[in-house]
Amino acid sequence: MRYLLNPLIFVFIFFNYGCFAQKQVVKKFPYAASGLTERQAAEHLLSKFTFGVRDKDIDAAIKMGLENWFFTQLDGNIADPDLDKRLSSFPGLKMSNKELVNTYSLGAQLRKRAIDEGLVSKEDVTDENKEKLREIYRELKLKHGVSSAKELENQTIHQKIVRAVYSQNQIHEILTDFWFNHFNVFMGKNQTSRFVLSYERDAIRPHVVGYFKDMLISTAQSPAMLTYLDNFLSMAENEDGFAKRKMNKKSSGLNENYAREIMELHTLGVDGGYTQDDVRNAAKILTGWTIYPMGDEANNKLVKFLDRIGEDRLVSQGFVHHGDFLFVPNRHEKGQKIVLGVSYDQGGYDEGLQLLDNLAKHPSTARFICQKLATRFTNDRPDETLIKHLSEVFIHSGGNIREVLSKLVYHESFWNKNAIHQKIKSPFEYTISAMRILQVEIHNPAPISNWITKMGQKLYNYQAPTGFPDQGKYWINTGSLLNRMNFGLDLANGKIRGISYDPEKLLQNQEPESVEDAIFKIGKRLLPERNIQSTVERLTPLVSDPSFSEKVNKAAGTDQEKSDEGMDEVSHKNMAEITENSKITHVLGMLIGSPEFQRK
Amino acid sequence: MENRRLFLKKGGVAILGLGIAGIPDFVRAAVLDQKRISKNKILICIFQRGAMDGLMAVTPFNDIHLKNARPGIFMEAGNGKPLIDLDNTFGLHPGFRDFESVFRSKNLAVIHGMGSPNKTRSHFDAQDYMENGTPFHKGTRDGWLNRLLNQKKLSHNTFSGVSLTSSLPKSFYGDFPCLAVRDFNDFKLKGGAGKISLKQSAESFEELYDLTTDELQKQTSKESFEAIKMVEKLNFKNYSPSSGSKYPVSPLGTSLKQIAHLIKSDVGLEVAFAESNGWDTHFNQGTDSGIFARNANDLSKSVMALWNDLGTYQDDVVIMTMTEFGRTVKQNGTNGTDHGRASCSFVIGKNIAGGKVYHKMSDLSAENLEDGRDLPVTIDFRSVFNEVAEKHMKVSIPDILFPDWHGGNLSFIT
Repeated sequence: MRYLLNPLIFVFIFFNYGCFAQKQVVKKFPYAASGLTERQAAEHLLSKFTFGVRDKDIDAAIKMGLENWFFTQLDGNIADPDLDKRLSSFPGLKMSNKELVNTYSLGAQLRKRAIDEGLVSKEDVTDENKEKLREIYRELKLKHGVSSAKELENQTIHQKIVRAVYSQNQIHEILTDFWFNHFNVFMGKNQTSRFVLSYERDAIRPHVVGYFKDMLISTAQSPAMLTYLDNFLSMAENEDGFAKRKMNKKSSGLNENYAREIMELHTLGVDGGYTQDDVRNAAKILTGWTIYPMGDEANNKLVKFLDRIGEDRLVSQGFVHHGDFLFVPNRHEKGQKIVLGVSYDQGGYDEGLQLLDNLAKHPSTARFICQKLATRFTNDRPDETLIKHLSEVFIHSGGNIREVLSKLVYHESFWNKNAIHQKIKSPFEYTISAMRILQVEIHNPAPISNWITKMGQKLYNYQAPTGFPDQGKYWINTGSLLNRMNFGLDLANGKIRGISYDPEKLLQNQEPESVEDAIFKIGKRLLPERNIQSTVERLTPLVSDPSFSEKVNKAAGTDQEKSDEGMDEVSHKNMAEITENSKITHVLGMLIGSPEFQRK
Repeated sequence: MENRRLFLKKGGVAILGLGIAGIPDFVRAAVLDQKRISKNKILICIFQRGAMDGLMAVTPFNDIHLKNARPGIFMEAGNGKPLIDLDNTFGLHPGFRDFESVFRSKNLAVIHGMGSPNKTRSHFDAQDYMENGTPFHKGTRDGWLNRLLNQKKLSHNTFSGVSLTSSLPKSFYGDFPCLAVRDFNDFKLKGGAGKISLKQSAESFEELYDLTTDELQKQTSKESFEAIKMVEKLNFKNYSPSSGSKYPVSPLGTSLKQIAHLIKSDVGLEVAFAESNGWDTHFNQGTDSGIFARNANDLSKSVMALWNDLGTYQDDVVIMTMTEFGRTVKQNGTNGTDHGRASCSFVIGKNIAGGKVYHKMSDLSAENLEDGRDLPVTIDFRSVFNEVAEKHMKVSIPDILFPDWHGGNLSFIT
């Protein structure tokens, strides 16, 4: 690695702070030291921080200045009326958890409702009557405005796809994906499924460039996390009052599930230096953290109990209620607990807050989080100096994510060749990047979602709290490669339902002179700033259609005197001929399925 | 191995057991009658997802507590009664009727009261634990079958570990590359377009991947293309099972048929995995007909079709079923059962000391039940899995397969 003295280049950029613009001197990213041109640097930056790089994105970023592009993206306030319009077709996005629970019923509730209303008898609820039951549920839906949880699950998946493809605020989408996966919850768990959409919206999205601690607290107090890792049931072994009665069928008592994962997966990391005793004591500290009863399915005993006390007296009784979160003091384990050498004995809700604060500040946490960020944005085995550097920034800034990311892009290891195009795209990243480049119009995201599942990533359905592994070897296996190749071919050949694209758009304003040139230009579109010579050479023989070049020559040579407009007409017609040629779309499919396009 | 690969690459096919047009049946039969040269051991795991009611599958029919707890779904054994009396104590559900003959010929053992030491009654967690082989550690990154394959230290080949599922099951997670294919009939590159033939597409793709600088992509693609070619040659569509084997037309039947084809083609299969779904019988479980009976029928008929189809390969194969937990002793208010603890497992093989129900069960009075409601776990699933690994697969590394387990074997394998 040669060290080049980076000439200090200063550029003036206008930053908006609140309502007045202020001149800021911004240092250039250190890409020149790695021998990158500005365009190569832009491509690399965008391939890591957007869901798929298009030429026009590179142009725009260069025009703005890469640094300005990055910080504007970090702000994430770009107006996006087109996306807003698209998202308006997902009613769940506007609902509170209570509304969600009342609108989208689990199978069991729908069944119960149907039986209660005499629409079906208990005995008739069998697999054989699936069709009939569907009919009955449709009826229920019309009558009560309710729907099935399945429909909400589809909304959750589909909004993610739509946002990733169309959002102007790409970094926020990338980071929402990253942090959701870090604080993973599983939509396949019945109690959790209907809270996943709001979890991403309320607990993750607002904090993606904020303070880590805030996200830790918001996830800890969200119905999705409370149900997914069972903490909503966790209570002291010595509880009194109503809690002694069984709140549900599960035996009540201490549940260590969340306490373990918050240390192992959310903060310290598996080697973060905690013991089984720490887990147990952390679980005791978090007893009583539960969900405020909501919706038609609320736990009646708890509702009655809270009614008896009255909302206004809850605070004086030691309860804490904000949003959907409830702290129930008589479920809380009393007495002293020691976690990581720190003693907690102030009692009640504050113990938990104190614990989260201490975990967020812990050096192991800084390291664990920064290692994950470095893995996501550089390569599968990130540079140790980068991890150390970012960990220091994390600690000194009080866990300010924005600060950490800013330092990441100023670190030389972000720009060196080990970080460029070295990450295998996840199935989600792969499909979205292809759709962005083809400028696909999505009418129905379901078929695309099925493809992503087929390639090994069922969105929101990673069972374990670890989230999907961020390693190429997890995504690439014998079967998944075949699926990726087939996806490329199906997408390009227009065989995936629910979406459409116009192959001509790919070659806009670029008149190919030959088949070879057409492939080359398409290749450049798909893989900007990469060496695609050998790829093109391999694919050209597939389309060596002798009549093709004649058509091109005929169209181009008809009349050199044509006005530009006329020329456009001709080239369009001519392009139509080229792109109608199914061979070209087939080659496009092969480019999408090519190894280069699998990497970012 | 290398030689055979070359042979295949050059367009040959392994003659053994291939149902390929052009090889007359009498030749195939003659080939199958010979003793096999290759002797690698094969394990077939079938995961019954949803938690099978072990007390309905293999019922301790003399137990009055069970009878009282299940007024709507209990069955009697004996003459004219639905259950098949196995040993005067346990009765086999009539849906599993096809298992009776292998039980009598002592090639099938039932392991009863089997389950996990972790008390979770969550499908997902329990399946995870069973597949990871670590009931108290959620974060385990690999599955026990993958660790098993890894330890065999054999030169890896494409078909060592095959799962007939759309994505890799947890059991197969890990460093050893395994193959997940929902249906081998679909395991092919999409057709060409216009004048571009499929062959051209495949060759070009293969070249592109061969050119790439990324080792992972390069290596994996070699596997992929070899698998694609092999699968094409194996010609799954035209596979015809040995005479008399009738596979049910169901996802499981299809999966097991394809596993049989892989085994008889000698492609180096060591561990195969398939799934049987629909065991979560909260509502109207049924008795000798209904949901449970339908599932039992599908499972036993599929397994027996496979077993009979194997012919002389039976010597090297063990088939084992597993399910994440059992169900409540008492039936619920909707003629079904809820999530419980222990269930049972069926193990079939020539080397199985079968014809016997292995168990440590007491009567089902309330004080003998786990949490006062469930059949208690008296046989740790790890002792069963480990015995299969040790005695059948010849891999004796309990510390690696099942860290934090120190139990003994049941000795159901000779």
